[in-house]
Amino acid sequence: MKTHILAFILSIIVCFGARAELKWDKTEVELHPTPADKQAVGHFTYQNTGKEPIHFKSVHASCGCTTAQTQKDQVPPGDKGEITATFTIGDRTGTQVKTVTVETDDPANPKTVLTLRTIIPQQLEITPTFVFWKQGEKPDPKTITVKVGKEFTVNHIKVTSSSPDFQTKVEEAGKGEFKIDVQPKETNNLVASTLTIQPEDSQKVFYATARITNAPTVQ
Amino acid sequence: MTSSLVRQALILAALALLPGVGEAIYFRHKISWQSAIPPSELVTVAQAHAWGENVIWVDARPDEEFAHDHVPGALSLNEDRWNELLPQFLAVWSPGRKIVVYCSSLSCNASLEIAVRLRKEAQLPDVFVLEGGWEAWLKRK
Repeated sequence: MKTHILAFILSIIVCFGARAELKWDKTEVELHPTPADKQAVGHFTYQNTGKEPIHFKSVHASCGCTTAQTQKDQVPPGDKGEITATFTIGDRTGTQVKTVTVETDDPANPKTVLTLRTIIPQQLEITPTFVFWKQGEKPDPKTITVKVGKEFTVNHIKVTSSSPDFQTKVEEAGKGEFKIDVQPKETNNLVASTLTIQPEDSQKVFYATARITNAPTVQ
Repeated sequence: MTSSLVRQALILAALALLPGVGEAIYFRHKISWQSAIPPSELVTVAQAHAWGENVIWVDARPDEEFAHDHVPGALSLNEDRWNELLPQFLAVWSPGRKIVVYCSSLSCNASLEIAVRLRKEAQLPDVFVLEGGWEAWLKRK
């Protein structure tokens, strides 16, 4: 009985030892860019712990927003290196998980998936980002809620409407929350406005849209 | 003899379970079923096509791919330029219209992410993801 278990455990160890040629320090990296950052860069370091050189066959990112570069095409035995993954933040929010698939000629471990986990800080969470009235509808105000992210302090926000057809009123609701009441002057004309929402003492600008829509189309 | 075999089998099964448990803990933030799209939010090319003019096609691919080719009449809306492109999309949307979002292929996630933002942030109804994406659209032709 003991012999069987020992043999089983040994076989697992032998298997792992045989395939561990390109050894990655980490296959998952978590990044915390600042609100001003345009990109987040992750470094995946490796070492060829085997006795044969290893060649990279392909390095492929899971989305067009991520690029990945190898320093070299061939990794001699004992050599170290890294793959650099660059994630373009753009207008993305929240937690973004992107992967980079690395294919090598290492028969024991031909494919490795590297994970880049980027936590994008969200200064303001705006819900909804779109308010609308159907043409002819009573022009009652509609409310947009603005919540300040946990790691930020915002005491005041400034809201500007791109069109005089809509009026806005900001109310501090406490606990890092604001209410923006948006009201059209009338709803007879198909007009729209971009609402610019800016926290005090911040360069970052957020947007919402207000619009008078036409009647529903026939389905 | 039998009890010894059963005991060995149970021990081996427990050992085999350990890596699975480890993986489930280590990769808890990217469990595959978290990103699955509910069937009710997926639509095939044929279904979307049957909706005719009532559909707004939304291309969630990067700008250069949209510029190269896209579904006729589709609007570009991607997360690289969400703040700039969303108002352009909203200017076209009207109540009652269905929104079909697509990205490159079955394996891409951009369409799902755009669909989620349209539902949650803009609070728009009738947002669907095109099954198979742009590749499926090309095959249809």
